[in-house]
Amino acid sequence: MMKRLAIFVSFLTLGYAHLPWSTLQAQEIAVNGGNQTMTITTGSPGAEPLPVVNTSTTLSYKRQSVVAKITVGTNCPGQSFTLKVVAVSPTKGVAAPGVTLTNGMPAADFITDIPRTGVLNATCTLQYTASALFSQGNSLEEGNDVHTVTYTILAQ
Amino acid sequence: MKSFLTFQCVLCLIVLVWSEAASQFGVSSHTITVQVQDITGIQVNIGSINLTISGSDAIAGQDAMTTTDQSSTLLWGINGGTKKITAQTSLGSPFFTLKVVALSPSQGTAAPEVTLSSAPQDLLLNVGKSSGSCTLQYTGIALASQGTGSDAHTITFTVQAQ
Repeated sequence: MMKRLAIFVSFLTLGYAHLPWSTLQAQEIAVNGGNQTMTITTGSPGAEPLPVVNTSTTLSYKRQSVVAKITVGTNCPGQSFTLKVVAVSPTKGVAAPGVTLTNGMPAADFITDIPRTGVLNATCTLQYTASALFSQGNSLEEGNDVHTVTYTILAQ
Repeated sequence: MKSFLTFQCVLCLIVLVWSEAASQFGVSSHTITVQVQDITGIQVNIGSINLTISGSDAIAGQDAMTTTDQSSTLLWGINGGTKKITAQTSLGSPFFTLKVVALSPSQGTAAPEVTLSSAPQDLLLNVGKSSGSCTLQYTGIALASQGTGSDAHTITFTVQAQ
């Protein structure tokens, strides 16, 4: 009985062991362009402050052994304002609709259907849009929103 | 055999945890800081208004003749603190009387109607962080005994800390 159980466990172990080795590879996904600060400075009376757009960062990623996708999430304690992101012109995969980044949100699809064949490397532009309402106040009173935005590439 | 089985179970657990991580091929992050400056904006939607007192505004036996205008709107956008909005005219000594009051403000409290002078006077109080508007009601008053003439006012609205 014990012997059979040991054999079963061995097979189970081997079964999991065939799963992707890609984690051992470096830089399967990388944000390029570093940290960014977006400043909202003007607004229209009777309307709202003018949103600010930033497209100075890119995301590099590699195709995987299976069809893959990239998700995005953020950590921003005490968030006051609105930040959205969308993938612009991905060279592999399909850009998901813009994602509103909210503190503690579950990871949301960012690029889907990244094929497992073709050119190894891919890239897209990260387009961030920061906006605020007059009623949401300002950073002098509320503090800045500091988002740690995380991109994850995983099997779809 | 028992120790071998224990070893296998531990190994299986390690591989299981590793494989869960392995379903994520990679992770990368950066920091985006959103900063919103203190923004205060105020605007009148109409550039000029003419208030004309004519014979039809006269009431027999009454010296004061009045006319009113509600065609202009005051708009504001404020994202800091509690503020007030004041109004003043460029005319130090107007010949006729011009009054203003804020009607139906979407935010804050309208001050009582004021006679415009070169000193700022409260128009709206307790305006919080908001994008809002109100109608401006101007009332021109002339006494029959003052005769004819005209005053050209440049009216300035200012957002101030309350």
